[in-house]
Amino acid sequence: MTKEAEYAIEVDRLTKRYGDLQAVNDISFNVSKGEVFAFLGPNGAGKTTTVEIIETIRPFTSGRVTLLGMDVTKKKRDIVQRIGVLPQGFSSFDRITVRETLQYYSRLFNVKTDIDGLIELVNLRDKAKEQYKNLSGGLKQRLGIAIALVNDPEVVFLDEPTTGLDPRARHEVWEVLLGLKKKGKTVFLTTHYMEEAELLADTVAIISKGKIIAMGSPVELIERNANYLALTLRPVDDKVFEIVRQMGLGPVLDTHKNIRVRVEHTYDVQKILNAIKESGAGYLGLDVRKPNLEEVFLKLTGEALREVPGEMETE
Amino acid sequence: MNPRIIFANLIVKLTGFYREKTTMFFTFAFPIILILVFGTIFMSQDSMEYRLSVQDLDQTQASIDAVKTLETKGKFKITTVDPAIDARQYVMDSKVNLLLVIPKGFEKYLIQRTTFNDNNASVTITYVYDPSSSSVMTKIQILNAVLAGINQRIAGKPPFLRSAERSILTRKYRFIEFFVPGIIAMSVMTLSLFGTVDSDTELRQKGVIRKLSTTPITRTDWILSNILYNFTLAVISTIAMLLVSYAVFDVSLHIDAWLPAFVLLDVFAFVGTGMILTRFVKEAQSAAAAANAISYPLMFLSGSFFPIELMPGLLQKIARTLPLFYVNEGLRASMIFQDNLAALKASAVIGVYAAVVFVLGIMATKWEEGT
Repeated sequence: MTKEAEYAIEVDRLTKRYGDLQAVNDISFNVSKGEVFAFLGPNGAGKTTTVEIIETIRPFTSGRVTLLGMDVTKKKRDIVQRIGVLPQGFSSFDRITVRETLQYYSRLFNVKTDIDGLIELVNLRDKAKEQYKNLSGGLKQRLGIAIALVNDPEVVFLDEPTTGLDPRARHEVWEVLLGLKKKGKTVFLTTHYMEEAELLADTVAIISKGKIIAMGSPVELIERNANYLALTLRPVDDKVFEIVRQMGLGPVLDTHKNIRVRVEHTYDVQKILNAIKESGAGYLGLDVRKPNLEEVFLKLTGEALREVPGEMETE
Repeated sequence: MNPRIIFANLIVKLTGFYREKTTMFFTFAFPIILILVFGTIFMSQDSMEYRLSVQDLDQTQASIDAVKTLETKGKFKITTVDPAIDARQYVMDSKVNLLLVIPKGFEKYLIQRTTFNDNNASVTITYVYDPSSSSVMTKIQILNAVLAGINQRIAGKPPFLRSAERSILTRKYRFIEFFVPGIIAMSVMTLSLFGTVDSDTELRQKGVIRKLSTTPITRTDWILSNILYNFTLAVISTIAMLLVSYAVFDVSLHIDAWLPAFVLLDVFAFVGTGMILTRFVKEAQSAAAAANAISYPLMFLSGSFFPIELMPGLLQKIARTLPLFYVNEGLRASMIFQDNLAALKASAVIGVYAAVVFVLGIMATKWEEGT
């Protein structure tokens, strides 16, 4: 099997500088064919710069990038025919309808596209005759994904496909992306939503300040970097916090006055609950769960992926 | 270059334009409105009649005849003013810009001169006028010419110096015929410049160009489709302007291959200028201001609305350095004077300008990120 067949994307020691700013700092990774690869990181981490370099639209300082075995600096014409791109902040021609827009992009690629099938795939049948300017944010993103698929690409790049969308629109886009996954497309996804990466990605690369700091499947990353249980207690009074603190477990209070504790094993949870019961104190609610990528990112970088109200406060 | 892609782009742009009714109105209707307004103003000037107030202090048959002569020879519509009124106060109060005063004794001195050959007998006609009025000097010139004619007749000798007019044209052209080619040049410039700057800046700011750069369309395809789009609009607009001019003003303009040639050169020159400008305009909001900053001086200094001979010497020199001047000159050379040599010279100048700015425009057009 050739290398080209094995990997859809190969990035080797890629660096991109803007003057003194090192936007991408010596990163390397491979994306296998047919997998959903998520680039997870906060705004300004270097996600879009990296993806635009792979998409052939941004030059880079040093390193080597190949897409489907082709050098991105030399084979732009061949590459663009075989990829589909939803750029960050996607937009289109205001006065052109959904159907006309897809026909236009289909003509650019000189391909016979099943326009109705694409409209069906992204669930825009009722909006096919609607002009772009009249679509909501979620509908626009779905059209953007459909455009990225007009040439039946082997690799699809989706740069922050759900940023700025409300939760409902975000879930609608996720439905479309799950459909792509089922079709076996290679998808390169950049996002700062960990739920998105966890839900969709086979492999996640966490990028911070231009460097990849961890890479693997979501489960692997969590196992490797956050092997603990997160216990959240809603206490009746302050006594409970004091009991947990005296057990040496380092509890913290969040903005909703919930007690948050990290424990290694389930019997630690039992120990805490027993201690509360024996002291005669009580609690209104209890939640025990495995950590997610958000916590992995927090642990690795010391910073949050995005601002979430009600996150942990220091003790 | 890919004709299929260029055509696809042209269709999308024309469809968008067709659905943008306000833009369509201003692109096509505005130059037509200009032609109708200015054409009407200057058509009526060809048969213009001035109003003249006359105060006849003599009130004799001779002075009445003199006023009649002014009316017929000078194309004046006369208003008589009561001899008892103070002339200066009348001019100030009634907002007329000139009052002609025929003095008392007009008939008496006229008889002394014509009947008794008394060469010392003369009268002074007084013009009481408001020098701040722009048309008053024209009135005075007409009056002086009429008075010179009267003096000539009284002298009883035929004039020694006579003048004769021989136009180099087979017919005299009217202002509207001068004006229409200028408006065609101006409107093609405006739609090409604004079409390029507005549309490219907006599409770049919204990220549409970035999306397109991930498809097979190339920068050359994009630019050529822009040229074709602007040329299509320019042709439609030019045809509309000419139809209105023929229908309403019965203009006599010669149309040959020079017309589409100059329209095409006009499009190339200002799409190129627009592409260069787009490189420096980051926001869609400032695009219109930047295009205005270029188009307004060109519009007024290049002789689109009036001949540059009416401008001071320095401005005339500046006009001859402006690209739109050569489009105006070329269009007028072909459409009015049918002077192929002058049209060729003008086309050479605008052709070189168009080629240079177009190449610079292609180089300035940012297609891929960071290039």
